[in-house]
Amino acid sequence: MTSTIEAPTGPDTAPLEAAIAHAARDLPDVDPGALAGGVWPGATEADLRMRAIETAAAMVVEEPSYSRLAARLLSVHIAEEAATQGVVSFADAVRAGHDLGLLADDLAGFVAVNSGALDDLIDPDADGRFEYFGLRTVYDRYLLRHPLTRKVLETPQHFLLRVACGLMGEVGSAGTSGVTLPGSVAGVAELYRVLSRLAYLPSSPTLFNAGARRPQLSSCFLLDSPRDELDSIYERYAQIARLSKYAGGIGVSWSRIRSRGSLIRGTNGLSNGIVPWLRTLDASVAAVNQGGRRKGAACVYLETWHADIDEFLQLRDGTGEESRRTHNLHLANWVPDEFMRRVEADSTWSLFDPKDVPEFVDLWGDAFDSAYRAAESRGLAVKTVNARELYGRMMRTLAQTGNGWMTFKDAANRTSNQTARPENTIHLSNLCTEILEVTSDDETAVCNLGSINLAAHVVDKNVDWTGLRDTVRTAVRVLDRTIDLSYYPTGQAAGANNKWRPIGLGVMGLADVFFALGLDFDSPEALALSTRIAEEIALAAYDTSADLASERSAHPSYADTRTAQGVLHLDHWADAAPTRPDAWAALREKVARTGLRNSLLIAIAPTATIASIAGCAECIEPPVANVFKRETLSGEFLQVNRYLVEELKARGLWSASLRERIVRAEGSIAGIAEIPAELRSRFRTAWELPQRALIDLAAARAPYVDQSQSLNLFMAAPEIGKLSSMYAYAWRKGLKTTYYLRSRPATAIAKTTVAPSLIQLDVENPEICEACQ
Amino acid sequence: MSLLDPGLDLTLRPMRYPDFYERYRAAIRNTWTVEEVDLGNDLPDLATLSPGERHLVNRLVAFFATGDTIVANNLVLNLYRHINAPEARLYLSRQLFEEAVHVQFYLTLLDTYLPDDAERAKAFDAVENIPSIAAKAQFCFRWIDSVFDLPQLSSLEDRRKFLLNLICFAACIEGLFFYGAFAYVYWLRSRGLLDGLATGTNWVFRDESMHMDFAFAVVDVVRAEEPALFDEDMGKAVTLMLEEAVETELAFAEDLCGAGLPGMTTGDMREYLQYVADQRLARLGLPARYGSRNPFPFMALQDVQELANFFERRVTAYQVAVGGSVSLDEDF
Repeated sequence: MTSTIEAPTGPDTAPLEAAIAHAARDLPDVDPGALAGGVWPGATEADLRMRAIETAAAMVVEEPSYSRLAARLLSVHIAEEAATQGVVSFADAVRAGHDLGLLADDLAGFVAVNSGALDDLIDPDADGRFEYFGLRTVYDRYLLRHPLTRKVLETPQHFLLRVACGLMGEVGSAGTSGVTLPGSVAGVAELYRVLSRLAYLPSSPTLFNAGARRPQLSSCFLLDSPRDELDSIYERYAQIARLSKYAGGIGVSWSRIRSRGSLIRGTNGLSNGIVPWLRTLDASVAAVNQGGRRKGAACVYLETWHADIDEFLQLRDGTGEESRRTHNLHLANWVPDEFMRRVEADSTWSLFDPKDVPEFVDLWGDAFDSAYRAAESRGLAVKTVNARELYGRMMRTLAQTGNGWMTFKDAANRTSNQTARPENTIHLSNLCTEILEVTSDDETAVCNLGSINLAAHVVDKNVDWTGLRDTVRTAVRVLDRTIDLSYYPTGQAAGANNKWRPIGLGVMGLADVFFALGLDFDSPEALALSTRIAEEIALAAYDTSADLASERSAHPSYADTRTAQGVLHLDHWADAAPTRPDAWAALREKVARTGLRNSLLIAIAPTATIASIAGCAECIEPPVANVFKRETLSGEFLQVNRYLVEELKARGLWSASLRERIVRAEGSIAGIAEIPAELRSRFRTAWELPQRALIDLAAARAPYVDQSQSLNLFMAAPEIGKLSSMYAYAWRKGLKTTYYLRSRPATAIAKTTVAPSLIQLDVENPEICEACQ
Repeated sequence: MSLLDPGLDLTLRPMRYPDFYERYRAAIRNTWTVEEVDLGNDLPDLATLSPGERHLVNRLVAFFATGDTIVANNLVLNLYRHINAPEARLYLSRQLFEEAVHVQFYLTLLDTYLPDDAERAKAFDAVENIPSIAAKAQFCFRWIDSVFDLPQLSSLEDRRKFLLNLICFAACIEGLFFYGAFAYVYWLRSRGLLDGLATGTNWVFRDESMHMDFAFAVVDVVRAEEPALFDEDMGKAVTLMLEEAVETELAFAEDLCGAGLPGMTTGDMREYLQYVADQRLARLGLPARYGSRNPFPFMALQDVQELANFFERRVTAYQVAVGGSVSLDEDF
């Protein structure tokens, strides 16, 4: 790390060295001297500090506590940057944001009145809870910046407190409806406490926009298929563009649109089917720039009987005619049980033009099955195919593109609280397959999301159940309030959300809990614990929603729900075995008296970004590697499984050569003989775990998840026989939705920094949804 | 019969080198297209670069403009001619396609980065007119010419010459010149700049790594088949060749970095190139020449599993070919 070029006017490096030494004071395993680097002409002290931070960040694989060191230096860096903008106290930060027109008048007023009490809330140790990547993510993406200088106008704790004030402070005219919401410092303090402990985080749209002038706080929007006519299709494009602009993720069905070759009466021409429309949607979605941050993202759902299903499955292929490809759209199959039954029976499957069978889309269960068979016997099918052949093509699409998610129409509708009346049908899931809500031509479903960090609820190798319930209560109250606070870009969204008031409370860091408690992911103990966690969260969430209903009122469409008929989500699962039957009985009685404030409460979203901020594993997933790299627009970041490093250190096994072998094996320790078998088993990666176990875990928690789960499945080298068995198993276990199929590339970059004697296959490359957190 | 024996072997069964065939198949599964790379965010970044950084980017693009074409030429003129096994030639055919995709990627990049026709023409002229790039090209041409006149590898001496050509393109050109160029791209990337360039480069990097690895596998086979071939003099010649490549690439680095840029100086680059050269020597079982260590944390990052964010970056690692048929009771 020497430089032969002498800087003509190099800055004094002594202050930086002192800052590094201070930040490293209680980190015995780091070497402050290792952060010295090349000096270049014109480098400032801040430049050199940033270089030192990046150097430390790249050393986390050698020693995980470099992550803390880097985070502490970054914390200093951020505070200095904010100070250059005149921001020292929380009140300064909110005033600066308000003066620049970024923050709402209500927020500024609330903070001005309570500035002393709010400043006292700031926890000076809270920055110390961040790992480097988490703090860096907050710095790069979440902190409010000056519109011109792009300097930060708040510190990380100002940001969390601002979010707390935006959600729990007093608001004179909230959201789209303009209602007045009382607020209090006590409510802010309660929320800030969980945020600063990283025990719960709202989804990214809420973190971005809480307290902003136009607070669009919702993550997900689900739109019913346009009607089969030109004006409706263009109306849908416009609605999607407006929803997308404010950082929402979009799910839209296309099942009502006529298929290729269908007669267009007005012109006596023949339709080109759905692909040209989806091409237009693709371009439209890519054109909408979300707050200057990124392009929009949308997922299109199609029912499996639609005659254009084959072309739909090819929309994301890397090869073939570009004019029939949509690289910006995600694809999902909305699969009826009847199709899966025919796959099992190895029989035929009929494809229809929606124009001939317009009723299919709104039917599910027995009603769909009989309508489908009747249409077949009336000879309405456009084409008949072998069910297994089509299923095989769906599997191939999953293997080749990761897309074409398998979501199950009948399970989704049968178990939903919203589908008690036949006119209410769920037509699709969302961009990340965890939301299931009814839609119609004039109802666009919305969901506000947040996730509990389970890793923050482990105390002395036990789950802190009381703490977990408290966090759930706080989270449900905040999410419910978010419904009123949020600005809805379209009337269809505002109407639906106020009527059903659904929320999506999820979890992250489940793998952390297993690691901390020493459980194998596929052990019976892990299954029992994971299910108990889901049960406790559901109990506390419903109880809180019942409290809210008695304080305010049940949600306006409560009478249309299954709960109003005495049926809870749990009741749809014959083999559910709750561990707290008394608590459920008490809850039933209470809900019968009060109703619920929210028609749906639980949804397990992927938590990509907020898990990074919290420094925990994503939602319910096992890690894909024990050492991996994250790429974002602001650079590349190394992450290492700190639980593994702790275990290896405790056994005196952590060494440079072992580290290199783990990197070389793509973060796997399966083949490293000197690591005890017990650890090799516990720290298996997602690629090495039996996928049956992931499905079993999901199925066991399903009774307590009234929306759904973003369940990724992993297969390093996918093969149709295994895939078709795996998804058939997921369907038989009653899962409502699945998400990506993750696979790995066949070749990889030769290692530049580890000895070249052994080169193994590299890296899969998952995609992450930020709207769903 | 051995791999470098003259002739035109057409027999795939029984297959002599199944490893080469597997490499061919793996490469097919990693197909990517230039259209998948989104260069849209690069233009605003270009506008924010300092003059020194802009100079570096222009030079880099000028090198890329012709670099892959040179490699493709050597493949056709020399490698394909003399590596006499149909399965190896399958891999080389695939490699040729990948080089073409790289050429197309850098052409698209150049057209995007340099909207002015005269500037574009100048970039392609770099191979003649910009001394630091011309020197690299001359180095390549010399090694192409070194075996171009050999109609077949009939003597031990011929085969040594060929092996040096092969090692030169693997270790010095794909394995050092390109690795040097990639380091600038990842340095820019580490500062949040030119994401599109980095995305395409990721895939080029992956391909080039595999090309280099294939070439070294050929070297391994040839050495095993004819142990006398790779003698002490050969080792010395390889070391000398790498030394020259390091010096040539270093002159390029001086041109690019000038007095130094934030986080990127000629001194750092020297360390890095020496470090990479040592890695190549180690792969060939030769002693380290420099004993340097990697000064670039952002290059260490290139070894590790990647997780991308789909709102931000297009993901590509999905496999293209997938086999099997529907079944409902397989283990998974």
